[in-house]
Amino acid sequence: MTLRIGVVGAGGFGRAIAQASARHGHEVVLWSRRHREVPEPIRASNQMEDLLDSELIFLAVPARHAGDAAEQLGEVIDGRHLMVHVSRGLTGPDLKTVTEMLREKTVCRRIGALAGPLVAKTLAEGRPSGAVLGTGFPEITDMVRDALGGAELRVYDTRDVVGVELASATVGFLTVVLGYAQEVGAEPSTLAVLATRGMVEISRIGQTLGAEESTFMGLAGLGDLIAAVAGDERPEFRLGQALARGAELTTAVRELGAYVEGIEVARHMIEHARRLGLQTPISSTFVAVVEGRMSSEDAIHALMERRVGKE
Amino acid sequence: MLKRFLSERPLRLPHLKPYVPRPSDPSIFWFNAEREDIVSDVVNRICTAHEHDRARLEMALNDAAFHEIRRLEKQRDEEARDRLGYWRSMIRRIGKMDDTEQKRVLHTIVTDMARDVAGNFDPRVYRFARRAVPRLIAGVMEPRRLTKDLMSASPEVLGRVLQVQGDIELLRRLQPEGSLVFVPTHSSNLDSIVLAQALEISGLPPVIYGAGKNLFTNPIISFFMHNLGAYRVDRRIRVGLYKDILKLYSQVMIERGYHSLFFPGGTRSRSGMIERHLKLGLLGSAVEAFSTNRVRHVNRPVWVVPTTINYALVLEAETLIKDWLTEEGQARYIIEDDEFSQIDRWIAFFRKVVGMRGACIIRFGEPIDPFGNRVDDNGQSLTPTGRVFDPGGYVERRGTPVLDTVRDCAYTRELGEVLAKRYEQDTVLMSTQVVAHVLFRDLVRSTPGMDLFTRIRLRGEISLDCDSLCRELGETRDRIRALEAKGRTRTSEVVKEDSPNDLLDRAVAFWNGYHDSTTATLEGGRVVIHDPSLLLYYQNRLVPFAEEIATPEQLPAACDIQNLGVRR
Repeated sequence: MTLRIGVVGAGGFGRAIAQASARHGHEVVLWSRRHREVPEPIRASNQMEDLLDSELIFLAVPARHAGDAAEQLGEVIDGRHLMVHVSRGLTGPDLKTVTEMLREKTVCRRIGALAGPLVAKTLAEGRPSGAVLGTGFPEITDMVRDALGGAELRVYDTRDVVGVELASATVGFLTVVLGYAQEVGAEPSTLAVLATRGMVEISRIGQTLGAEESTFMGLAGLGDLIAAVAGDERPEFRLGQALARGAELTTAVRELGAYVEGIEVARHMIEHARRLGLQTPISSTFVAVVEGRMSSEDAIHALMERRVGKE
Repeated sequence: MLKRFLSERPLRLPHLKPYVPRPSDPSIFWFNAEREDIVSDVVNRICTAHEHDRARLEMALNDAAFHEIRRLEKQRDEEARDRLGYWRSMIRRIGKMDDTEQKRVLHTIVTDMARDVAGNFDPRVYRFARRAVPRLIAGVMEPRRLTKDLMSASPEVLGRVLQVQGDIELLRRLQPEGSLVFVPTHSSNLDSIVLAQALEISGLPPVIYGAGKNLFTNPIISFFMHNLGAYRVDRRIRVGLYKDILKLYSQVMIERGYHSLFFPGGTRSRSGMIERHLKLGLLGSAVEAFSTNRVRHVNRPVWVVPTTINYALVLEAETLIKDWLTEEGQARYIIEDDEFSQIDRWIAFFRKVVGMRGACIIRFGEPIDPFGNRVDDNGQSLTPTGRVFDPGGYVERRGTPVLDTVRDCAYTRELGEVLAKRYEQDTVLMSTQVVAHVLFRDLVRSTPGMDLFTRIRLRGEISLDCDSLCRELGETRDRIRALEAKGRTRTSEVVKEDSPNDLLDRAVAFWNGYHDSTTATLEGGRVVIHDPSLLLYYQNRLVPFAEEIATPEQLPAACDIQNLGVRR
């Protein structure tokens, strides 16, 4: 069955989705603001109207651009369309997810969030990998499996959309923390404690926003974090390392050449937790270090001296 | 005995000559002519869904027998004596029955349940009720008129107490073109009565709705409920088939163009908070009615009307908040011994509210399609930027409308989220709620670190200076009005117009004149808090806005209050 696939955003991930879909024999339109050269049989376009006939649209833009893209998409799509986003971020201080924003700016209701340890290069080259799709709509799962799945990509599904989005966004932050810790010479066991307790911390916050704990412990959370630490060249990991070497945050982000919103997400998350009376020792301590309010030695002492309880 | 007789076989007036509906009559006037067809439609759909799968059929029969035996063993009443034997004998035989017998038993069970659920509509009772009910309520409020002449007592007094807001004209225009589904917030058992009255005074058609079977035990209410189209919901029955029947009955009625009403909160809000977590079963019937019609190429729109019912004084406030605080709310789904069942409480309540301008405000919000989109003046679905589009696309798969229960459940969850937001926006904050919030926030500020349950036991121990309280009340009111200007919520005329002093004085007088326990008293320039739990109940309406209407000094207390909404 040939599907009509639309992809919004011609960055690394957008192009990889377009290539994977085309490789599976589907008709693909790749939209980007500027004209881009794309390999056959992918059709490039800078007109949103060209996505009107697409049955499934992938939104592959960073969370901070998702609002603009959604507004333009909103002018052409209707209830027939299915949409999946791959943005690993949130859209504002109130921890609003990209799905929520899409629902506000478009009439599309059949929406999914694709996340997990999937990286553009692996997807484009068709090497074995896996991902998790958060959606309540079975037809989206079927179509995404048809479009990208097959022998090389295992797409698991969950109804916990908000969990997938929050886990995916906050893993970015934990990756920065782990990059930093590794650079300052933390032992593997220290990294493991930071990773697992950090995940517990963010999953606790996620649960207050309607997410399920198990999602954080699955592909969208721990799975993604393992891939990041195992060395899939995440910009967040490199940012952490740069910060550990003494770089200032804005400069480090600029030199990275990629937009990393993990620290911003962490700040919003800490504020949300504060209002609810929840503790965020790892996030708060690390943000304090990044903001120059605490040295890395003091941070480790502060974390290690906390009262320890049941896991 | 009489109770059971009435709940099993409610009274109907004799039909000497069947009523022939006129084309101009509201859709519900056609109900009796269609009743049997509706019941058999429900029965056939349920039976068809089970009969091709023996395992599913056997499971449904076992589930029905198991839950009914458990219920009847617990009830130990006359119904148990009649029916327990039937279910016990059936559960023993299920495994030995052949296909034909299992299907026959299923058909019998489903038919009995569907008949028990289905309502009745008698135009004569409807005409009587629309004349008598407002006068009866007016009479209770002003008893002198009641003794004079019930039917000539002025319903104007009711108009003074009950205000209706919203785009009524649009609803009137839409009602002949499709099915309106009213989904109100739920605070009191009076809700269905005042809502029926609000529809009546707004010139909107009567609606069908599910009424708890406990309401049918009161002979007068049972008579009206049963003859005005209400279908009966017995919350004691846990059988899966019964739940399917209830939902399908509602769905079939919406498919056929009957206007409906159900409370998505499921039960009265025990805490007094605006409902956030909605029960999706009946709400789903609106979505599935739309899908089913589209699959059958019937283009009958379904519009969901978020509605808020806002009381300055709540008849059952004391029982409800007590229930919430003791966490019995989960188990005590049906409260049979609350203020609603005590006629003296009704009279005390109505006497009190007659002196309150706009004591109850019903607000019909903007109608939306079953997928949460706004609609235009013709009821057509709109995109966020105002483009008209066909919602039929939502139920299409590769260009063809299809039925898909899982998909419709997902749409229903999203509709539930939209409704929860709309409830906040369409809630009309009443004077007693605003005053209670300011008092409760000050109580929280005066008791930092104290837990909720210790706080509500502080009776007469906390007093606040009236002048500074009124100043705070004025400031808080200004912040609430700023939220109103942004469309986040609404306030009553009384909140907008009265001075803070008047708001405080009247709120205290209203609470103390009606509720059994004293909420607060004004003594020598100070407000003494006597019953923090009642304050908590009334202030809970403002929980979602607590942080936004607090000053930096009030913020920690406001956070504590807002967290009440997260934990529960």
